[in-house]
Amino acid sequence: MNAFTKKLAALIILTGMIIHEAAAFCGFYVSKADGTLKNKTSQVILVRDGNRNVVTMYNDFKGNPKDFAMVVPVPVVLNNRDIKVVDQQIFMTLNDYSKPRLVEYYDQNPCNQYQYDKLEGKVPGLSLSEVVVTGYGAQRKKDLGVKIEAKYLVGEYDILILSAKESSGLKTWLEENGYKIPAGADEVLAPYIKSNLKFFVVKVNEEEKKKLPGNFLRPLQISFTSPKFMLPIRLGMANADGDQDMIVYAFTKKGRIETVNYRTFSLPSSKNVPLFVKNNFGNFYTNLFQHQWDKEGKAIAILEYAWDVSPKNFVKCDPCVATAPSVQDLVQAGVWWLNRDWTDYSDADNEEEDYSDNVYFTRLHVRYNRTKFPQDLMFQVTPNKENYQARYIVTHPANGNFDCEAGKKYLKELKQRCTDEITMLAYLTGKGYSDWDVVVNDEGEKIMPAEAAYETVSNGMGKNSRRNNTLLFATIGFMGMISVLGFRKRKIK
Amino acid sequence: MPPKAFAIDPRYFQVIFQSFFLCYGILYLQWEADWQHYIISVGGCLLFSYAAESIKRKEFLQLAREKSKAKSGNEGWIPSSWGFSVLISAMSLCLLLKVNYWYISLLAAFITVTSKYIFRFDHKHFFNPSAIGIVATVFLTRDAWLSPGQWGSNAVIFFAVITLGTIVVTRVQKLDVSLSFLFTFVGLLYWRQVFILGWPIDHFLHSVSTGSLLLFTFFMISDPKTSPNHPMARIIWAVLIAVISFYLTAFKWKYNTSIWVLVAAAPLVPVLNKLFIAKDFHWNPSMISLRFISKFKTIVMK
Repeated sequence: MNAFTKKLAALIILTGMIIHEAAAFCGFYVSKADGTLKNKTSQVILVRDGNRNVVTMYNDFKGNPKDFAMVVPVPVVLNNRDIKVVDQQIFMTLNDYSKPRLVEYYDQNPCNQYQYDKLEGKVPGLSLSEVVVTGYGAQRKKDLGVKIEAKYLVGEYDILILSAKESSGLKTWLEENGYKIPAGADEVLAPYIKSNLKFFVVKVNEEEKKKLPGNFLRPLQISFTSPKFMLPIRLGMANADGDQDMIVYAFTKKGRIETVNYRTFSLPSSKNVPLFVKNNFGNFYTNLFQHQWDKEGKAIAILEYAWDVSPKNFVKCDPCVATAPSVQDLVQAGVWWLNRDWTDYSDADNEEEDYSDNVYFTRLHVRYNRTKFPQDLMFQVTPNKENYQARYIVTHPANGNFDCEAGKKYLKELKQRCTDEITMLAYLTGKGYSDWDVVVNDEGEKIMPAEAAYETVSNGMGKNSRRNNTLLFATIGFMGMISVLGFRKRKIK
Repeated sequence: MPPKAFAIDPRYFQVIFQSFFLCYGILYLQWEADWQHYIISVGGCLLFSYAAESIKRKEFLQLAREKSKAKSGNEGWIPSSWGFSVLISAMSLCLLLKVNYWYISLLAAFITVTSKYIFRFDHKHFFNPSAIGIVATVFLTRDAWLSPGQWGSNAVIFFAVITLGTIVVTRVQKLDVSLSFLFTFVGLLYWRQVFILGWPIDHFLHSVSTGSLLLFTFFMISDPKTSPNHPMARIIWAVLIAVISFYLTAFKWKYNTSIWVLVAAAPLVPVLNKLFIAKDFHWNPSMISLRFISKFKTIVMK
């Protein structure tokens, strides 16, 4: 897939994902202006072992740094050394490494001896750089039961850590300082304050920003110790109608993470899909995600990737569509236990000699809104080390003539396979052949034999994307029969 | 005409409902069905139980029906004397426990079965077999875990109502333990989340719409062999478990607390049995009187 197609795919995805309001993620970006934003996907890296957490928040704000402001609830007051700024490249690396992928296979014409062995991986060009409209706040002092617990300058950010006694006081303070609180955030401030959470408030320091090149804001990384393993998404739910997306990259020593208060659902993977998906993969995946999310009741976290990325493990993906994160990348992302710099004495008072070379990576994609997600996301680390990736397969048909015996058999199988692929497409995305704006620009597809062409095949099928419940009902019926066997008439004594 | 009464071993109800939940999970929720784990759990439990019972009685048990008649009088096709209860425990293992390797499943089955023979007091085992199987396996190995979120929350309240309804109608098992646990636990959660912290009501409802709670309430804590005999003692015990579970969930941020607390509270059962004297429980096919159906029939058809 060349650069142009990648960009095209990206564009298709972005237009495919429709999200309404200025979104925030673990906290909220607060606006002065009422910005309507499309296609905002937050990204966050979570690293967890025992009670120690490292959270890195991607900052995709592109505008005047003066207008940026962010509020994040945190469980403890953070020390200065627990707050860092990291390079945003790590997010690109992780995203490219773990995004859903398309695999191409080539059929061999049984009448020829000529073989195609190419095996390529393609990915949707998911680029995540969108404008966030955020607010401006003058930095002023306390009052209203709001106490400034700490004040730091980290990188290009001015950071305040607030604790509040009551939500109205906090709300007033934020509003007075120019933070316009989204309507949905109101109802969660009180429970957060009563749960003893602090508020991590971030703005850009003009002078420090000037010293740095580029017009972007770097991700913030915070470390803290807390038994809670959660993401406070409730605060970022600005609008009851809008769906917001978040991608969580999690690193643990033991294995996969999963949500405990919502179902974690693995997308159907390693499925054969029609050839025309190849030029449309971004769009395909967008539709697939939306359809599966809908079908499973929306209140779910979707697993897109899970793999053992320990340095000693050489196979990090299958197929690999981008470089796997290196040890350095992982340490940057916050995986402290891989860090084995014996010459670094800066952490002299950090007694934990916590080296381990096991790292497990999970990528969860959560699409959330106020109605289906009444609680913050809570996670647990499980010892599940099974690998998983969202992977879809297209197969190019062979070309040439099929006059030999095996060739005719191949044609029959090809037709069946094309039928299956169209069925699978409908099952995965809820859309049939006729819903797709099919662009045939591949040589292989142009010369697909007529009887196996997708158009022909799909005309002979109905649209069927409902879950197949027959098996479930059959089982229930069977169990009902067994239960009847358990009944015995007894004479009443 | 005297109303028809059916005799049904209450354990059928348990097996059927648990099988139903398992099917719902695999077929509807599309869990990654770990067939190896299911087969080894069920097979392992039955195998170990057969072996243990044979060793205990110093003779090879017959698999056929005749032998089982002597013990419990039930002519069900599953040998009740050594297989039925353990089948229920095995189903709990299938539903709740997740493992990485087959030998962990086997270990869980082994602990489940042998705990009934090793941890005894007054000729009765006091640990709930599946609970201790799960807890011990999770605690001892690094390759087992529980997934509280695997059920989702959509249909759970509905299932809870169905389960409760069935129990009420058929009176197939006692409800005092289940309800006292449930009301206490749910009540405390409500108090904490809605009154103290001020979350909206759907936050609280989401907390209690979990399949693990449903399973625990109606299928685990209600095990009559490992709960106290006297009704008062049962209620006290259930409330105690609920309070401690709540405390651990709300203030220590732990998950799956109920099962851990159940295992921890199991040694209390013999103590309570000494304090509150009542008859021991034995599995009997309980006479489910469907009187009300006859009444309903007479009303409707008269």
